[in-house]
Parts: sequence; structure tokens; C-alpha cells
Amino acid sequence: MSAPACPERIEFDCGPVQAIDLALYAAASGDHNPLHLDAEVARAAGFDKPVVHGMYTMACVGRVFTQRFGVRALRSLSARFTGVAKLGDRIVIEATLAGIDAGIATYALRAHSTAGTELVTGSARVVLAR
Amino acid sequence: MIDRKWIGYTSTPSKVTIDRWRVKLFCQAIGETDALYWDEAAARVAGHAACPVPPTFLKAIEADHMPAADLLGLLGVPLLSVLHAEQSFDYLAPVHVGDEIEITREVTDIYEKRGGALEFVVVEALFRRGAVTVCESRQTIVVRRDRAAAR
Repeated sequence: MSAPACPERIEFDCGPVQAIDLALYAAASGDHNPLHLDAEVARAAGFDKPVVHGMYTMACVGRVFTQRFGVRALRSLSARFTGVAKLGDRIVIEATLAGIDAGIATYALRAHSTAGTELVTGSARVVLAR
Repeated sequence: MIDRKWIGYTSTPSKVTIDRWRVKLFCQAIGETDALYWDEAAARVAGHAACPVPPTFLKAIEADHMPAADLLGLLGVPLLSVLHAEQSFDYLAPVHVGDEIEITREVTDIYEKRGGALEFVVVEALFRRGAVTVCESRQTIVVRRDRAAAR
């Protein structure tokens, strides 16, 4: 059998995140916090533009792994939201292989916005195909 | 300051049935174009018994069980003073469209940093299908006190 496809590094990007994406995400996720939808509310909360849901960024991170390994392979996904993406940003995700143990690969994650803000650090564990 | 009596608060479990249209809408929002998440035939071709759900979709049904606004209301925290600080999921069994999932949320910790300028609330959730735990999640919410006081 050939070696499992388990790249050292995966790069993926999402977006640009538009107002319609945030509105759809609010509807689909049940997170209707106006911070994500209303420019004035965002300004009052100290942001120059509506803020992308942290869970939106994490959903993009999930896609990195479901596309590469299939949806059943993911064993865990964890994210620390270190900064916020804003309306119009693209989200760039980098996953770096940290190790393989007993058929499970662990990846270290980083995401940043094209505005230059770090968004997420985290990790994921995926079961490799046998 | 959030009353620490809320540490240990556990929601009454409730069941949410995973709806195909909702999953499709979620996929549309996040740019997921693979039809296996909403098209039964495509799911079967890909070797799934039914349409699987995207990994972070469980957060959406967690909100159906108990919206963030309700939980924060209970704690006396204004919605606009919070940001999502951390989130993790442990996936223990596959979840599909049509599954009935029972959800519980529990406040497991509340603590502060920077002399109380920031407060953190840790909420764990349990997702079960019948007797099987399909996922465990953990969320940390940060409350910005300056924003909480401004409202």
C-alpha cells in the first residue's frame, strides 16, 4: 500500500467574507449578534467594521481537513481566537503536521486575515486512511 | 462581576433534529460546495450512510438548545460585551442529517484576568444520540468589562 496522503503543510484560503456570508451564517448558526451584521453596532463596540463570527473562521478551518481527509477522519478540532477578521477580509489558514501517532496525525493551525491580523491558533487531529 | 454561583450551572437537556435545509444553508454560508452534506445520493456515493454534517455545525444546534443570548442573560452579561475566545470539539461518533441529538450545556468555570478587566466563562456541551456521546465541546467566552459597563 502507498503511504497515506498526509502532507507536511496545508494552506487554504476562504473569502473574501461578504455581508451576505455573515447574514447566511447568522441564520444558519443561530448567532444573531448584531456585532457581525450591523456596522453601527460594530463601531459602538469599538470595531471599524462588522466582525466575522469566530465560528465562521473555525468552519473554514474545518474545511481544510474535511476536504483533505474526509469528514469522518476528524477526531478533534480546537481553536484559540486571537484576533478578529472583519467584513471583506480573506481568511488564510495554514496547517502544519506536528506528529503522527497510532494512525492519527496532529496538525498545528494558524489563521490570519489578509488585513494582517492573526485570527486563530489551534490544533486538529485526523485519522489517516489505512 | 459575574456571580460565581453560576459555576456548575447545567441546562436542562433538550433534543434537536438535524435538518437538511439548515445544513445546506450552513454550507452555503461557509463556502462549502460538496453536495454530500445535503444530497443523500452524493453522500452514499462517498460511502456515508446518510449526509454527514460539517464539523463545526454542532455549534449551531447548541445554539438551538440554548442561545448564547439566553445563557449570557442568565449570567447578567450584555451580548455586545463578549467575544468568543476559545472553542474545541472532540468527535466521538459521526453525526448525520436526520439524527436527533440531545444537548446539555454546563458552565464549568468563571475567572478573571487583568484585575477583572476581562472575565472568562467556560461552557462545556455534551451531544448525545440515544446512549452514545457523539461529541464533547468546550467554549471560552471573554467578557470585556469596559464594554459591559458602557451598556
